[in-house]
Amino acid sequence: MAEAEAQIVALAKLTILTLVPYVLASQGTMLSGRTGVFNVAQEGIMLIGASVGFLGAYLTGNLFYGILLAMLVGGLVGLALAYFTTTLKMDQFVIGLALFFFCLGLASLLYKVTIGVTIKPPLIPTLRDVPVLGLSQVPILGAIFFNQNWLVYFTILLSAVLYYLLYHTRIGLELRAVGENPKAADSLGVNTSLMRYVTAIAGGMLMGLAGAYLPMLYTGTYTHDIVRGRGWLAIALTFFGGWSPHMIFLGALFFAGVEVLSFRVQVSGGGIPYQFLLMLPYIATLLVMMFAFRRARVPAFLGQNYDREKRTLA
Amino acid sequence: MSEQIAVARTGETQPVVTLIKKVAPYLLAVVASFVAAGLFIAVMGFDVLQAYGTILFTSFKTPNGFAQTLQKFVPLLLQALAFTVPLAAGKFNIGGEGQLIVGAIGATAVGILLAGLPAFVLLPLVLLAGVLFGALWGAIPAWLLYRFRVNEILSTVLMNFISFSLLNYIATEIWRDPAAGHPTTIPIGAGGFLPLMVENPPLNVGIILAVLVAAAVYVYTDKTAPGYELIATGANPRSAMVYGISVGKISLLALIVGGALAGLSGSIEVAGVQHRLIEGLQSNYLLLGIIIGLIAKGNNLVVPFVAFFIAVLEIGASAMQRTMMIPGEMVFIV
Repeated sequence: MAEAEAQIVALAKLTILTLVPYVLASQGTMLSGRTGVFNVAQEGIMLIGASVGFLGAYLTGNLFYGILLAMLVGGLVGLALAYFTTTLKMDQFVIGLALFFFCLGLASLLYKVTIGVTIKPPLIPTLRDVPVLGLSQVPILGAIFFNQNWLVYFTILLSAVLYYLLYHTRIGLELRAVGENPKAADSLGVNTSLMRYVTAIAGGMLMGLAGAYLPMLYTGTYTHDIVRGRGWLAIALTFFGGWSPHMIFLGALFFAGVEVLSFRVQVSGGGIPYQFLLMLPYIATLLVMMFAFRRARVPAFLGQNYDREKRTLA
Repeated sequence: MSEQIAVARTGETQPVVTLIKKVAPYLLAVVASFVAAGLFIAVMGFDVLQAYGTILFTSFKTPNGFAQTLQKFVPLLLQALAFTVPLAAGKFNIGGEGQLIVGAIGATAVGILLAGLPAFVLLPLVLLAGVLFGALWGAIPAWLLYRFRVNEILSTVLMNFISFSLLNYIATEIWRDPAAGHPTTIPIGAGGFLPLMVENPPLNVGIILAVLVAAAVYVYTDKTAPGYELIATGANPRSAMVYGISVGKISLLALIVGGALAGLSGSIEVAGVQHRLIEGLQSNYLLLGIIIGLIAKGNNLVVPFVAFFIAVLEIGASAMQRTMMIPGEMVFIV
């Protein structure tokens, strides 16, 4: 009995660990989407976040610098997205895809230039568990929630802060207004461009952070396929969570759960070819989206650029 | 984007001056990106001029280089069209990679199962299987969009990831070639091989097929009424709907046609180049195809020329230079 309990606790802990990159990237998507900037470069930003995060940590020997660097680069990509779409009014999807490709190429290039080809991949230390004083001793819940690495705590805290910011502050109200009806927001003196820039940059930083988390979690190495579609799944999660921070966090439990499950069944065998288990997260996501998209409340101005001088259909 | 397509379209019948005006930004962008990439190469401590010489002329120095360029041109062209056809309807098909893979799986399955058939039966079946399987793979996201309004960017990308595992399964479990170290199937029947136009260096007739398909796509989208409905849907879905065009169905069809085109590139890869299914045969064609489509601004007449240019770069440039240069170029142009 105790063994079964220990196993369940271990799985639950793993699910929370796995949840982090989904939540971070998805909150980033949500944040910039709430002002109408639809970022579709997650996959690329996460990869370059993983790459520079790894390199930063490897060269300085300190994970924290790697994380900072990844957030900086992610923020720069967000800035580029905001500049091309908000200032130059270019198509958001085209620019997003261009940035995705750009990040993809740059991530591998930076790794190659810095590390080169090696027989044994260079290693960085992985994130350590930091027990929360007092709470980590609580039976079951303590082990699942309060004996994790600090990015897990950050992710939970961030989701709570974003929820408060969006729904209980004036800035949050203005921010949502920019994504719903920029003309109205503009006429009431909200700086729509500034809002879009700030959220796009912050969103990019969160995606970069989500990427940096990946090499620091289990393996301590960087590979070119480390992200494995998590960036795209994060977009699906954002729709699934109806573009609101608390629902995104809950929805991520599903995404992380499927990933952990597919991993676990692979290890335990069970006769199913592992290739089909690898497909599981993507198939599950497609199925979920069939319902999520009909139900989801999407910011009205998502993916569109606001031009003061043009008539808009709002 | 759609406005730009419309602008590019109106200029077609006008005199040479407008043609120059139209081409000038492209040239400027290419020059700008070459300069930018040149700076990068110089910073890394290489001889810029020599590097560019290699990049631009490798394709034309030897018959072998030229044949390789043409061989690369085929999947690039088809992948670009697989992107631009749905793009005309305002839909983004990012699933060309998966559609290529599944098309290649279909072609391989037919080529192995019916290996004994004579060429005049087997070859068309192999090619057709690729087209059908690709169309089917494209039809799933198309249907999800039509029926459940699932964002097509997302669904087509996810279908790619599913196809990777499917390919791996088939190449390691179903028709595994035990002699190969890398996941590979046994070869298809010789009747399914695309005939060669030139023996040495080898060049198969896939290029003729691809160019014919590209011409057909251009004529269809730019010169026929259904093609006009397609473009109208992408340019302004609201007004298209007001004029009685079934916008949803057009998008559905456009995505399926995109899948079929990508599937054809898969069967040509199998029938013409590999003669078997190999993990990784999709190369980076999806990425380049989308870039070609975007550089050509969705104009199907321009697509083949851009595809050829990119094929030249692909053959000439080492991976490192090309990863920097091409996305850079795209950013400049877009």
